Amino acid sequence: MTGPAGAGGPALAPRNELVDSSGRLRRRLLFDRAIGWALPLAFVAVLFPLFDMLYWISTRALPTFTWATLTENQVGTGGGLYPMILGTLVLIALGTALSTGIGLVAGFYTSEYAPAPVARVARIAGNLLAGVPAIVLGYFGYFLLVLYTHWGFTALAGGITLGIFMTPYVYRTADVALSNVPPSQREAALAMGSRRDQYLVRIAFPIALPTILTGIFFAMALGLGEAAPILFTAGFSSTPITSLMQPTGFLSGAVWLFYDFPSTYGSFLGLAFQAAFLSVVIVLALNVAVQLFSDRYRERLRGLYQ
Amino acid sequence: MSATLGDVPPPDASVLTVEHLSVRAPTKTILSDISIEFPDKDVTGIIGPSGCGKTTLIRTLNRMIDTSPGLVVEGRVRYRGQDIYDRAVNPVLVRQRIGMVFQRPTVFPLSVFENVAFGLRLQRAEESTVEEVVRRSLVRAGLWNEIGNDLDQPALELSGGQQQRLCIARALAIEPRVLLFDEPTSSLDPIAAQKVEELFAELARDFAVIIVTHNLTQAARVASRTAFLYQGRLVEFAPTEELFERPRERLTQEYITGRFG
Ligand SMILES: Nc1ncnc2c1ncn2[C@@H]1O[C@H](COP(=O)(O)OP(=O)(O)OP(=O)(O)O)[C@@H](O)[C@H]1O
Ligand SMILES: [Mg+2]
Repeated sequence: MTGPAGAGGPALAPRNELVDSSGRLRRRLLFDRAIGWALPLAFVAVLFPLFDMLYWISTRALPTFTWATLTENQVGTGGGLYPMILGTLVLIALGTALSTGIGLVAGFYTSEYAPAPVARVARIAGNLLAGVPAIVLGYFGYFLLVLYTHWGFTALAGGITLGIFMTPYVYRTADVALSNVPPSQREAALAMGSRRDQYLVRIAFPIALPTILTGIFFAMALGLGEAAPILFTAGFSSTPITSLMQPTGFLSGAVWLFYDFPSTYGSFLGLAFQAAFLSVVIVLALNVAVQLFSDRYRERLRGLYQ
Repeated sequence: MSATLGDVPPPDASVLTVEHLSVRAPTKTILSDISIEFPDKDVTGIIGPSGCGKTTLIRTLNRMIDTSPGLVVEGRVRYRGQDIYDRAVNPVLVRQRIGMVFQRPTVFPLSVFENVAFGLRLQRAEESTVEEVVRRSLVRAGLWNEIGNDLDQPALELSGGQQQRLCIARALAIEPRVLLFDEPTSSLDPIAAQKVEELFAELARDFAVIIVTHNLTQAARVASRTAFLYQGRLVEFAPTEELFERPRERLTQEYITGRFG
């Protein structure tokens, strides 16, 4: 017997068992190492435009950025962005409330109650709605909420339109997150004598929450970036709103309007960059907040998906 | 509600009576014409080769079968005389009386305390009652000495065996009249399995315990009566000793001597 294992004596392992003579292993290690370098490079390549954009926006926004940018009204081509910040917060709050309400209820329904064919249709409808260009929703909001209601341009119309825009994103993540709760959790809850709504509220929703929050955040970030549908419905205004039934300014609208102003440069362009900068900061802050929360929260779910 | 599961006195010593029960899937019959009486305050074992319908049978006993779409149940299952498939019966109430523990531990991602309190919270029990019942249930499930000093720890961080006993404690907290176990120890190591196994006799002092098991020696150890199921039919149901030592059916004989399964 020439085999090394169990031969008893000092039998050296034959060279080829522990030492690679063909070079295949070495090539594979090299490949591994190359991948180890290539991936971060690809990552940088993807992120470069993002950082470039951040740099571009910051360098144009920050030199003229002051406290007054946050607190003062826009006056002529100067002043601050207070009305647009306020308007953005109001619009996003309205849109988030509406889309979270509808999206969650729809997600509860299709993940737990709906018969399979109904759920399938609802999911397709959700995907279709997500695919409708924002500008079309803008027209829809304009005809329905501005003209038909005789409201004129109002923050409420803007908020509702934004909510409709955001809803499919919230719905889709809620539906997927709730459907992906391990079936054993559902079995266990029902076997304990839970009703289905009790299972949803007490077990499924908390498990799905980090994912749902990510979806809500994503919808908010997309909504923050939309200008057209809101311009069609909330109009625009340079003074802070005091009622939901008034038109309102908002940051993405400021970016779009001020940047595109043909005859003016200088301070107006500065305001456009500052508005863009603020939008980015809000998105980043939201992102970090959601991430921190979900990380902490997911810690509690460790071991559930084994 | 008139036809809820009231605590009417049992008509006889059997707490659950299965009468001519069949379960059909669209393309096959999973259980055919099963009749069996489960005695109260006793351990009943259900054995049989893989796929013979053991899980399906006990899932019909607390209407968990309702959650498997496409299965049709025929026949009756009487809990203390009342047919649980009666249209007026609420399956949620059935499951509060007839609890179930699964093959793999299924703790909720909550604290130990909240896991055991789960069923009571559904029924909006008083906080003082909850604490008392949680403690008592953990004691009965043999967990109090091990984890009683830290009820706030996440249940998911317990060992597999502890998680399974936590599931038992959780089921005990709502005072079931029947507790169904579907291969409750087959995902546990021998020592953890033994700890769970030791509970059965204790639990059967208070209510009916029904255990599906792959493990014939386990059935021999814990069950007073054992049912042998084969290809969706009940082949034999007899006192455990009799079934293992003097089976009446050749199929039973062949199965317990290891000729198949
Ligand atoms: N929902 C269903 N639809 C169709 N067939 C099913 C369904 N559930 C179970 N079956 C079939 O019924 C048979 C019995 O299944 P069951 O899970 O009750 O067996 P078991 O005795 O518990 O097996 P095991 O020992 O492997 O757990 C199997 O052949 C299974 O494929
Ligand atoms: Mg089974």
